[in-house]
Amino acid sequence: MAIASEYTNTRLLIIDDMPEMRSSMRSQVTNLGMNRTSLAGSVREALDLLKETRFDIILCDYYLGGSTDGQQFLEFVRRRKIISRSTIFIMITAEKGYESVITAAECMPDDYLLKPFTADALKSRIDRLLDKKRRLARIDRLQDQELWEEIIPGCNEIIATKDKYLLDAMRIKGNALIVTHRYDEAVEFYRSALKMRSMPWAKLGLAKALQGNGDHEQAKQTLNEIVTETPRFLAAYDALGSLHGDVGDTEGALRILDRACEISPNALNRHRAIADIAEKTADFGRIEKAMSMVVEKTRNSPLRDLNDYAKLGTALTELGDAGKAIAVLEEAKTSFKDAADSTLLAAVESVAQHKAGNPELAQKALERAVQGDTKSLSEAAKLAVAKACLVHGRRDEAERMLKHIVQNNPGQTALHASITQMMKTHGDPERAELLISSSNAEVVQLNNDAVKMGQAGDLKAAAAMLREAAERLPGNPQIVANAAYALFLDIYSNGLDPDKLSDAQRYQQMLLVKDRHHSKLGEISDIAAKVQRKFDLPATS
Amino acid sequence: MSFADIAALTLHDVKNRLAQLAGRAEARGDLATMREAMEAADTLTRLLTYYRSDIGSLALEIDGHSPADLAAECARETSAAGSCKVEVDCSAAPTLWFYDETLVRMVLANALQNAKRYARGRITIEVAERDGFLEFIVRDDGDGFPDQVLADDTGTATRVTREGTGLGLRLARRIAEMHENAGKRGLIRLENAGGAVFRLLLPK
Repeated sequence: MAIASEYTNTRLLIIDDMPEMRSSMRSQVTNLGMNRTSLAGSVREALDLLKETRFDIILCDYYLGGSTDGQQFLEFVRRRKIISRSTIFIMITAEKGYESVITAAECMPDDYLLKPFTADALKSRIDRLLDKKRRLARIDRLQDQELWEEIIPGCNEIIATKDKYLLDAMRIKGNALIVTHRYDEAVEFYRSALKMRSMPWAKLGLAKALQGNGDHEQAKQTLNEIVTETPRFLAAYDALGSLHGDVGDTEGALRILDRACEISPNALNRHRAIADIAEKTADFGRIEKAMSMVVEKTRNSPLRDLNDYAKLGTALTELGDAGKAIAVLEEAKTSFKDAADSTLLAAVESVAQHKAGNPELAQKALERAVQGDTKSLSEAAKLAVAKACLVHGRRDEAERMLKHIVQNNPGQTALHASITQMMKTHGDPERAELLISSSNAEVVQLNNDAVKMGQAGDLKAAAAMLREAAERLPGNPQIVANAAYALFLDIYSNGLDPDKLSDAQRYQQMLLVKDRHHSKLGEISDIAAKVQRKFDLPATS
Repeated sequence: MSFADIAALTLHDVKNRLAQLAGRAEARGDLATMREAMEAADTLTRLLTYYRSDIGSLALEIDGHSPADLAAECARETSAAGSCKVEVDCSAAPTLWFYDETLVRMVLANALQNAKRYARGRITIEVAERDGFLEFIVRDDGDGFPDQVLADDTGTATRVTREGTGLGLRLARRIAEMHENAGKRGLIRLENAGGAVFRLLLPK
């Protein structure tokens, strides 16, 4: 009885490893009038379908047969933005709450459905979720675009109506306050939410806001409360781990993340977080343990990640098992064929071959690692290449790259510490501290030179110099801010130039994204407004 | 492996097979068999949940939900199942209430399955806020609860009979009591008034 229904255009994806369950669900949704249904028997098939089609609804069984479960799949597609917030994700589970662990909000399914269910039950849920998505459509779109400032008034509108989407809007608003660093407001907001009822998500939000305000003790206390009251709320363990890590308590951080792993042993990102923390203290035993587990669980899966292999290779090398490291890297080489990936692997391999006593192979790998443009590499790859250079005595190249990393990531003390550590172990311990301080001094010098040039009246040269620096160090807010300001000033004084204008606006936008509280933003928008008036330009958003 | 662990795994297995059975029946249009298989699977789900609560691993996930939506969903599910007319009255329902929706749905679905078994033709679900509690009330026009069920406040003495094991009611009481806030605890109330009246009360 095919009915022309409201679902005629609804695209649905069913993911289940059991063929009979897939076809049974398909006939259920066909009875509801959904005719545009796709079936996937594995994560790989599902990802292939998601590449081509935007689905409105995904029905995914928690158990998918292989090494990947539904929760891992959901985290993967949400974190990589393979599905947007407008896609409804329903997790099908066998038992209430047994598999479900509460992780980061963006990695939660929209709903859980207990097996078995009737077509009517499915329809009721889908209708409710579609209503909700319609109500939250605008906010969801803004979240996908990460326009956090605009999200807050959108949420306020819904909150004011006090309809049944009140709590959904509150969750999103709280998160937006945190993302935009409005911690005072966030603390107050979550405290008032908790007056309605003690809700774990609101407590977590409060803890994050407190942490943002530098109130680590209270944040820790709040998180510990959640862990005691709601032991399966794993997002609280993650937050507690990062809090311990922030205050330098690596041991405490690892202890709490280990507890979370006991509850949910399959959460890949938590094992990755453990490796990241262990990296700070060069605890290669821990890194090896965590990464072996992740590599094992994602082998032959589309969820595998090259960085895991590289980290495992490095850890094995450092632990003195270069042979095993080389085997891991060989496996990675056949598994990841993308040219962009090969630099990182080659760099790690170069060190491993060197340690294994194969100088020729080490040299060959190093050549592969340094060929091509290193600018477009990830920071992890740059670090690995620098390390390979250090190990081979190519100090100048290594220091040039490390300096660039420091200058492009100012204020990132953990990264600076690991660079110092690397220099101490593989290079010249004396030069380790010097590299950081001279890198920072160079940036200060560059800014001062530009200011002097500008004051001497050569705005054009000052702007050009800063523009070049901003292209080289897009991660350095001070450089990007000064480049935006200088370019607008140059345009204002020396005439409109479309290229300069578009770069100035781009830098202004980059700075906004990086730090909306940057002290230079006010001055930049003033001079931008003057430019706009002087040349009668259309207002920019 | 302990007996309990093997039992839990076996329950999963049987549930999956019942689900497949239900799917096959549905595919050939045999809705009566499908319902029967579904209800049997639901019973096993309740048994598993009861077991989890027994060993202390049943975690409550409290959040704000719309009770009117839940009542409408349950009513729809029950009416689709057969001859009974299910009416919903949410005129005094609050927009939002705090509870574990999956567990409350399980309680209501069970109450409705029972009502359907004994009703002559009419079932009503009422949702209302009274004295700091949310009440889900399921009424049928059947013969009402047997005296021994009404007399047994705690539900612990309910004997296994041909009509059932009392599992549904025991689990309902447990789930209700797990809902606790500001010194108040949820509860189940049973009475006979022109048929059976089942009340689930959840504290604010």
